Amino acid sequence: MNPATLIPAADTLTAPWGWFQSLLLLTFPLHLLAMNALLGTVLTALAAHLLPGAPYRRLSHELAKALPFLVAFTVNLGVAPLLFLNVLYGHLFYTSTILMGLFWLAVIPLVIIAYYLLYLYDFKFRQLGNGALCILLLVLAILVTVGFIFSNNMTMMIAPAGWGRWFATPGGTLLNLSDPTLLPRYLHMMIGALAVGGLWAALYASIALKDDPETATAGVRLGMGIFSWLSLLELVEGGWFLATLPPEVQRLFMGGNATATALFVAGLLLALATLVAGFRQRVGLAAGLTVMLLYVMAFMRDTVRTGSLAPYFSLDKVPVTTQWSPLVLFLVTLGLGLAVIAWMLVKVAHCPKEVRE
Amino acid sequence: MNYPVWFVPTLGGGLLIALVAIVHVFVSHFAVGGGLYLVLTERKALREENRALMAFVRTHTRFFMLLTMVFGGLTGVAIWFVISLINPAATSLLIHTFVFGWATEWVFFLVEIVALFVYFYTFGRMDDRTHQVIGWIYFGAAWISLFLITGIIDFMLTPGQWISNHDFWSGFFNPTFWPSVFFRSFLSFMLAGCYGFLTATFLAEETLRQRMIRYSGIWALASLLLSLPAGWWYLATLPTPAARLVHGASPTIARASTVGAFSLALLAGLLITLILLRPQARTRVLMVMVMIAAMGYLGAFEWTREAARRPFVINGVMYSNGLLASEAPRIDQDGFLKNARWVQNREVTDANRLEAGRELFLHQCFACHTIGGFNNDIIARTRNMSFNALRNYLATIHGKRYFMPPFVGTDAELQALAAYIAGGLNHKPLIEAKGAGGDQGKELFNDNCTACHGLDQIKPDLKGWPRAKIRAALDKLSALNPDMPDYTGTAADKDAIADYLAQQTGGAP
Repeated sequence: MNPATLIPAADTLTAPWGWFQSLLLLTFPLHLLAMNALLGTVLTALAAHLLPGAPYRRLSHELAKALPFLVAFTVNLGVAPLLFLNVLYGHLFYTSTILMGLFWLAVIPLVIIAYYLLYLYDFKFRQLGNGALCILLLVLAILVTVGFIFSNNMTMMIAPAGWGRWFATPGGTLLNLSDPTLLPRYLHMMIGALAVGGLWAALYASIALKDDPETATAGVRLGMGIFSWLSLLELVEGGWFLATLPPEVQRLFMGGNATATALFVAGLLLALATLVAGFRQRVGLAAGLTVMLLYVMAFMRDTVRTGSLAPYFSLDKVPVTTQWSPLVLFLVTLGLGLAVIAWMLVKVAHCPKEVRE
Repeated sequence: MNYPVWFVPTLGGGLLIALVAIVHVFVSHFAVGGGLYLVLTERKALREENRALMAFVRTHTRFFMLLTMVFGGLTGVAIWFVISLINPAATSLLIHTFVFGWATEWVFFLVEIVALFVYFYTFGRMDDRTHQVIGWIYFGAAWISLFLITGIIDFMLTPGQWISNHDFWSGFFNPTFWPSVFFRSFLSFMLAGCYGFLTATFLAEETLRQRMIRYSGIWALASLLLSLPAGWWYLATLPTPAARLVHGASPTIARASTVGAFSLALLAGLLITLILLRPQARTRVLMVMVMIAAMGYLGAFEWTREAARRPFVINGVMYSNGLLASEAPRIDQDGFLKNARWVQNREVTDANRLEAGRELFLHQCFACHTIGGFNNDIIARTRNMSFNALRNYLATIHGKRYFMPPFVGTDAELQALAAYIAGGLNHKPLIEAKGAGGDQGKELFNDNCTACHGLDQIKPDLKGWPRAKIRAALDKLSALNPDMPDYTGTAADKDAIADYLAQQTGGAP
C-alpha cells in the first residue's frame, strides 16, 4: 500500500503557516526547558538523597519544593506548542495518535500520578524518610515512560510508511519500535533533559539557596556534575542519532541545505562551549549557552520533521484563508498576560519570607 | 474516513469522551467559581479580622490548588487527547477554526497557574491588599477561560452564521453563547459552594464549621436558583431540531433529563436542609450526597448539550462520524469506499461484502456504536432486525430517527453494511428476495417494523385488539404515535401484516 494514500487532507489554515511555525518554534523550547528542569531536578534530588551529609539533605528538601511548580509549567508550556503542532501537522499527528491510542491516553493518568507523588514528596518531606527515595524513583520511571510515549508519537507521525500496520492492529496498541531513529532520538531527549535539569538544579541552588551557602555549594557541585558528564554523553549519543537519520535528512545537515548545515555547526559549537562552561562550573554562562542550544536543537528537530515528510507533505501546499483579528487578540492577550505575570512575580520578590503574626 | 479509527469493539469513544468530560467539568467549573469563593471569603475574614476563618481559606486554597491545578488541568488536556483520538476530523476543524481562541485561552491558563501559586504560597506573607488583587487576577483569568471555551463548545451546538461566512467571531459569538456563559458561570459558583461545604465539614471547631457549612450552602443554593432562568434561556435559544431532541425526541436526552431533574431536586433539598436545620453532627453523608447530586445536575446538562447536536458533532456541518454534510451528496454518487483513505476494500463484491461492510461500520457507525459493549451496542440494537429490515432502515435512517446520521455511500455499500450487521454480527441469513419462504406478513413486519420495535415489544399494546382494529391502525400509524412514520406498503401488504399480528397477539379475526 502506498503510504501517501493514507495521509488525511490538511484543514485550511487561518493565518500564513509561517506564523504557526514561528509560534511553535518559539514555545516548544520553553516546554523543553520546563520538562528538562523537571526531570533533572528529580534526578538531582535523587542523587542528593544518596549522598551523605546535611547539606545534601537540605538540598533535596529545597528541590522538593520546586518540583510541583515544574510539573505545572511543563504541562502548561506544553499546551501551546502542542496546539501549534495540531494546526500545522494535525492530520499526521492525529493519525499516529490513533495508531498508539492506548499508550497516548496513558500519558494522562501517568502524569497525574507523578504530579500527586511530587506534592506528597513536597508536603510530607520530613515524614517520608527513605520513602522519599522510592517516590523519586517512581516519579523518574513515570516521567521517562511518558517521554518514551511522546518520542513514539513524534517519530511515528513523520513516518507514514509504517502506518499500514493499523489494518492488522487497529486497537491503538502500535508503537514505532522498528524505526531506527526512535531509540537514539528518545535517548537524546532524555539524556539531554537530565543534563539540562542538573544545570537548572545548580542554577536554582546558586540563586534561591544563596542564604545557605553550604547547601547552595552542594547543589551547584552536584547539579553541574550531572550536567557536565551527561552533556558529554549526549554529544556522543548525538552522533549515533545523526547516523540513524534517513540519508536524505542527514544530507541536509551535511551541506545539502545551508540553513540546516548552519544550525548543525552552531549546535555543535554551542554544545562544546556549554561543556567547557559546565566542567568549569560556570553556572550562569552554561545556562545562557544552553538556552541558545535548546533553540538551535528545536530548529534542527523541525528540519528533521520537514525533511522526513518531504516525500509526502509540505506546509506550502496547505490552503490558507487568513483572518487577522483573532491573531491580534492572541498577541495582545499574550503581551498583557506576560505583563500581569511579571507584576505578580515582582510582588512575590518583594514579599517578606516570614509569615506575619 | 479521512482518519483511521481507534477500534476497541466493546469500548465506544462516545462513552470515553463523556466520562472524561463530566469528570473534568466537575473540577474545571469549580476552578472558576472557587476562585471567587476564595477571594470573597478571604475578604470576609479580613473584614471580621477572623483568624480561624482565614485559616479555613488557606486550607481550602490548598485543597483547591491540588484538585484544580493537577486534576483539573490534566483532565482538560485529557479531553483534548480523547477527542483527537475519537473524532480527529472534528478536533482538527475546531483547532483550525479557533486556534487563536485556544491560544488566548492558554495565556489565561498560564496567568491562572502563576496567580494560584502566588496566592497559595504567599498566604500570610504578602500584604492583604496585594494578596486580594492576586486572588481577583486568578478569578478573572479563570472566568475568561470559561468565557473562551464556552464560545468554542457552543459553536459545536449552534455554529450560526459561521456556516455561511466562516468568520471566527460569528462562530464564537454563536446563538447559544451568551445564555451558556451565564448558565456555566452560575454552575461554577454553585460548585464552589458545594466544594466549600466539602472542606467545611472537615473543620474541627464546631461554631466555625456550622457557620461555613451554612455560608457555603447559601452560595450553592443562590447560584443554583440563578442557574435555572439561565438554563431556560439556553433552552429557548436552541434551534428547532435541537429543541425537539431536548423535548423528548432523543431517548438518551430523556434519560439525562430524568437524572438531571432528580439531581436538581435532591441538591436543592439537601442545601435547604443544611442551611435551615444547621445539623449538629458531622455531615459527611450529606456531603457525599451533595457532591453526587451536583455531579448529576452538571453531568445531565453536559450530556444533553452533547446529544442535542446529534446527528452532528458540529451542527449542520459535520456528522458525528466525522463526515462533512456538504460532502455527503458527492460520496453518495461516487461511493464511500472509493473516497475513504483508511479502507482496504475499494468496492463491494460478493466475495468481500462482509469485510467491506465491516469497514463501512468502522467509519460510519463505530463513532457512536460499540460491538457488544456497554454503550449503544449495535448487536443489541439490531437483534430484532432482518437483513431486509436493516436495508430499509439504513436507507431512511436519518428520516426515521433524526439523531442518526444518514448512511453515506452507494446502494451496494448500504447493502454491504446491512449484511455485516445482520449476517456478520447477528448471524442472520442474508435473504434478499421477499416472500422467499414462510409467512409474508411476518416478513413484511420484520422488514418494516423491527427497526424500531420487535414483536415482543408491541404485544402488550396490541393485547385484545381485533384484527380489524390492527388493520385500520396500519393505515395511519402516526395517529398512534406522532414519531412513528406511516407505513407506505400496499393494501395487500397491510392485510398480510394485520393477519400476522392478529395471529401472534391472539386478536379476534
